[in-house]
Amino acid sequence: MKIVVPVKQVAALDEEFELLDDGSGVDPDFLEWDLNEWDTFSMEAALQIRENADGDGHEVVVVTVGDEEAEEGLLSCLAKGADRALRIWDESLQGADVLAVAKVLAAAVERESPDLVLCGVQSSDAVYGATGVALAGYLDLPHVAVVKGLDYDAAQATATVERELEGGLVEVLRVEAPALLTIQTGINEPRYATLRAIKQAREKPLQVSDLADLGLEEDAVGQAAGSRAVALKPPEPGEGAEMLNGSPAAVAARIVEIVQERMSG
Amino acid sequence: MSGVLVIAESRRGELREVSLELVTAAREVAEAAGGQLKVAIIGADAEQVGPQLGAEGVDEVLTVTAPQQHFEAHVWQKALEALIDSEQPSLILAGHTIDSLGFAPATAARRALGFATDVTAISWADGPRAVRGAYGDKLHSELEFPGKECTLLTVRPGLFSPATPGEGSVPVRAVEANLENVARTEHIEFVEATAGDVDITKAEFLLSIGRGVEDKDNIPRFEQLAERFGATLSVSRPLVDAGWMPSARQVGQSGKTVKPRVYLAFGISGAVQHLAGMRNADTIIAVNTDPEAPIFSVAHYGAVADLFEVADELEQALG
Amino acid sequence: MARDPKYDILFEPIQIGPKTLKNRFYQVPHCIGAGSEKPGMQAHHRGMKAEGGWGACCTEYCSIHPESDDTSRVSARIWDDGDVRNLAAMTDRLHQFGALAGIELWYGGPHAPCMESRATPRGPSQIASDFELNIFPRYMDKDDIEVVQQMYVDAAIRAREAGFDIVYVYGAHAYLPFQFLSPFYNRRTDEYGGSFENRARFWRESLYKVREAVGDDCAIASRFAVDHLLGPISIQVGEDGVRFVEYCDDLVDLWDLTVGDIAEWGQNAGPSRFFEENHEKPFTGQVKAGNHTNKPVVGVGRVTNPDTMVAIIKSGQFDIIGAARPSISDPFLPKKIEEGRPEDIRECIGCNQCISRWEIGGPPMVCTQNATAGEEYRRGWHPEKFHPAANREKSVLVIGAGPAGMECAMVLGKRQMSAVHLVEAEKEIGGCVNWISQLGHSDGKENLFRGSARGLGEWKRIVNYRQIQLDKLKNVEVHIGSRLSTEQVLEYGAEIVIVATGCHFATDGMNAATHAPIPGADASLDWQLTPDQVVSEAKRVGQRVVVLENEAYFMGVSVAQKLAGEGHDVTLLTQAAEIANYMDYTLEAPMLHRDLDRLGVHIHTYTMVDKIEPGLVHAYDVWNPAHQEQFEVDTVVLCTARISDDQLYRELKADKDRLESEGIEGLYVIGDASAPRMIVDSIFDGHRLAREIDSPHPEMPLPFIRERRLWGEVSNDDYVQQLRNTADVALA
Repeated sequence: MKIVVPVKQVAALDEEFELLDDGSGVDPDFLEWDLNEWDTFSMEAALQIRENADGDGHEVVVVTVGDEEAEEGLLSCLAKGADRALRIWDESLQGADVLAVAKVLAAAVERESPDLVLCGVQSSDAVYGATGVALAGYLDLPHVAVVKGLDYDAAQATATVERELEGGLVEVLRVEAPALLTIQTGINEPRYATLRAIKQAREKPLQVSDLADLGLEEDAVGQAAGSRAVALKPPEPGEGAEMLNGSPAAVAARIVEIVQERMSG
Repeated sequence: MSGVLVIAESRRGELREVSLELVTAAREVAEAAGGQLKVAIIGADAEQVGPQLGAEGVDEVLTVTAPQQHFEAHVWQKALEALIDSEQPSLILAGHTIDSLGFAPATAARRALGFATDVTAISWADGPRAVRGAYGDKLHSELEFPGKECTLLTVRPGLFSPATPGEGSVPVRAVEANLENVARTEHIEFVEATAGDVDITKAEFLLSIGRGVEDKDNIPRFEQLAERFGATLSVSRPLVDAGWMPSARQVGQSGKTVKPRVYLAFGISGAVQHLAGMRNADTIIAVNTDPEAPIFSVAHYGAVADLFEVADELEQALG
Repeated sequence: MARDPKYDILFEPIQIGPKTLKNRFYQVPHCIGAGSEKPGMQAHHRGMKAEGGWGACCTEYCSIHPESDDTSRVSARIWDDGDVRNLAAMTDRLHQFGALAGIELWYGGPHAPCMESRATPRGPSQIASDFELNIFPRYMDKDDIEVVQQMYVDAAIRAREAGFDIVYVYGAHAYLPFQFLSPFYNRRTDEYGGSFENRARFWRESLYKVREAVGDDCAIASRFAVDHLLGPISIQVGEDGVRFVEYCDDLVDLWDLTVGDIAEWGQNAGPSRFFEENHEKPFTGQVKAGNHTNKPVVGVGRVTNPDTMVAIIKSGQFDIIGAARPSISDPFLPKKIEEGRPEDIRECIGCNQCISRWEIGGPPMVCTQNATAGEEYRRGWHPEKFHPAANREKSVLVIGAGPAGMECAMVLGKRQMSAVHLVEAEKEIGGCVNWISQLGHSDGKENLFRGSARGLGEWKRIVNYRQIQLDKLKNVEVHIGSRLSTEQVLEYGAEIVIVATGCHFATDGMNAATHAPIPGADASLDWQLTPDQVVSEAKRVGQRVVVLENEAYFMGVSVAQKLAGEGHDVTLLTQAAEIANYMDYTLEAPMLHRDLDRLGVHIHTYTMVDKIEPGLVHAYDVWNPAHQEQFEVDTVVLCTARISDDQLYRELKADKDRLESEGIEGLYVIGDASAPRMIVDSIFDGHRLAREIDSPHPEMPLPFIRERRLWGEVSNDDYVQQLRNTADVALA
């Protein structure tokens, strides 16, 4: 059995930051990089499935699209127990959008032909929540999004999953492998790597590929892109708080109104 | 290609409110986009729910009847593709919801659509433009979709006020789609999520109280108010310091960082450490007697008022 | 990062007589155990605050003459040229950082027992001290008054020579000038007693004379308790309190306002379990608000929150933020606000450990939050600067994230160890602080006197500060919910292993009095509990509860407070003369006794438990074991001995070959796992090991500079060269 776990090295902004002069992005001096929180849960889910499976030869492969900055995240996955890692990078991937990244991942995943692909629901920096399902779309894989419970029956190659819906409702459903799931935080308790495992992770295979290695054309990224970023701006400075005036009853009525409006949908 | 298509949502026979918000969002760009504004509903209950979608400004309601009782991502994906083929819209709006996240990205990938999720504003200038957050909403990213005949956007719920439901005067048309044997998952059941330990980081609506509640004996009434309001109770540090509440409920740098849709703060002045834990909430409402309280600098709505009087009134308003 | 403009007001200079205070941060006089006889400690402790941005720092109370000798407690002294020389070390240090130096000239009257000088204190009337036992003053006739006033003048002139910028005539805490002012002490019938003007005369004349002598060069300050808190028999703020400020306003450049006296000075240095931030406002806040002064006012209230500081100044409560404890806990508090990182402030928890050492009389001050307090000179520790460890390529595993483990991992992180893993068995870091901080609040209701039963919630700040720091350290990973076995530790891959696994309460009544278990004591039974079980609510507690208080600090009484607050009938038994003995030193005892009384807790002292039977506790009088007493109970709480959880350490240590084969070069045990102790000492232990992790034998503390008179000629450099850590050394 093979499980592919696509992960992302995400950037967090410092409390105070500056944009690049051309407005195309944030000055990297103000970014802090870390493995996406959701991906620690998908990685744990993969490791647990591998550990629970009978026999040998099971493999967890971690994949990322990113420059050298992303290697740290891969190493942490290897330290926790992933068997090997693949980092895909090409200058044309700089600033690639969600569909382009999914396209590139699809090419990599296809070559692995795994039983399961486990993605995080979303990344904490871009928050698209779409990479996994787009990837499934490219590969025509069965998919379930926002999974917060997972029971994989390796013998039947079937996953029974819980999908977390709005308002505290959970849908239980079944899907057959090969399939792609996007994993929600809280589904498990991600393990950590010991100091020894961290040191040993550097001995594990970590392959770096470019687009050509995956059989993708040079303009594949541009072709696949679903959008183009025009500008990155701080939010319009608010006018400060809109003050609710009037009697306590009037204030209360407005609060109820605002809450109901914001909580709908 | 022209026109705007809204993908409405229902669950267990009930129209979800985000659908009518999408109608409002669509109306704002429909004229500039040209063509008609159509609203589609997919599901076993499409025909029952459909008429409500004929709100003002909607030209036509489309129904795609699915063989499944409940949402199934692959069926919905196929239905959406059928709608794109038959209606040829230039812009599709869906909710940024759990269901949409389950199929919209796959369609966008397969049909090479213009695509963005969790969009907070939409405009039109020779094609759609969208605004969405970046880095946890600390920045806004403006997007365009060059070369795309059709663009699919998922829109953040709660930002647009819902349109008034229609009363059946807008024409309803059934759109044919071959949805047999498309499903690739099997629905087993719905269950209510078990209420585990309180996790304020996961709550969508926090009612948060601070030093302004004055006395430990006043806490139960805010617990009850939160319950009636459907909110989770959280607190600022002084209440934990005072031993009145456990630290699991504490918002702030030394407590939990939260990002609910609504953060309703009663009697919290807004110390730096507190603001660091909640300033990225979507909507912040603050009630405080001190007009100089720092929390008003991050709040979207503020009221300088006696929090107990406002709480009294809220209790009445909520019945 | 720049400071938030809303804090600009805290950085506006203000004129104090002939001196300019550069900002609004002012370390009011407080004791540290240095006095004039540990000049290195004095200079470097105050100097650290000057470096950290405090605009002014003062000495502790400073005796003006051998007649005011507080031995065995440690005051500063400015009796002669030797004291001038030693205190000049402090003023030099402060001036290097642009801070003003203040000196609090003190004459204690009968409160000073003169055990070293063997002198006879003088006082306004011959009434024994309400603070010291059986110390009577000699009645001061007019000649005596002139003599003592000249002592103030001579001391002020020496203070100027020592480089002080601010000279106090100290009358708060019921010392001599206040003894004249208050009818509680002053029963005179001459022109120094009776009417307000007569009672104020001594203080006013003293201020006048000191001002005449040094007022052109030094700012004249007075520390004044605006309310004695004794009601109409003494000074009340609304009466003579504000009247005195008005009466002497022309003679001072700065008012330093407090409340209370020395006999119960916990009303001023309020512990967090009874007093919240800015608790003196109802008294000291009246002076400026009521327009009773035209001079700058500084006041205290254990304020650590910069927003509160801004509110205090903007609302016209004070002009200057005074601090004693918050400045000990974080000497860099002003700098952290100025640099836009208020989240790094190490907030005082209000445990009053600092004060306890003065009360005990002698040992240097300690601080739970700031392990470097008092160690600036003698160990060369800087609270914000850390030398990269010489062995920083090593990786470290710290097991247990209680006070010792958190502190140790944090300091190791700041010393740039290549990798530090802090692994905690429970779901959150904090160890015993997590449950201890839930104790003692009872019902949060107003106490009988002042304040309320707030409990130990603020002690959680021990965790808050370290959590924020640990989050910021890239080389430290914190893992919770992970209980490591001996085998897992061996295979962890760390080169240095530090065991900080804490301790537990004895379940069999083992105790310090009898050195034996108590027959029948067994906390595995459902009606007998250890203190932590009371907090975890693991067992149902019956109506009648007996708490065995053999711990002598906060634990037994805090459990009693909690249970009584919840409606149980609680009886406290202790073999000692008093319950919670150490809380006398932390100034918590008076308020505690009021609260226990309010809650109806019965206290039996000199009472030792003989045996425990279902429903019955048998006890005896320690002075007459034949005198037996029985207590009917539903629940017994065994607040007896604590025992180190050191099994992991012992198992690791037992197999030296295995340690070597696994590459573990260093194995250490810290905190309660080494020996149960107070939190302040656990944090120190963790800090100490991390500071010295690169010394030849990290388990053995390095020597520290002992400031005692050495026979023959000595150079200051001889001292400093002994140190491995020196705060002044430039960082690599």
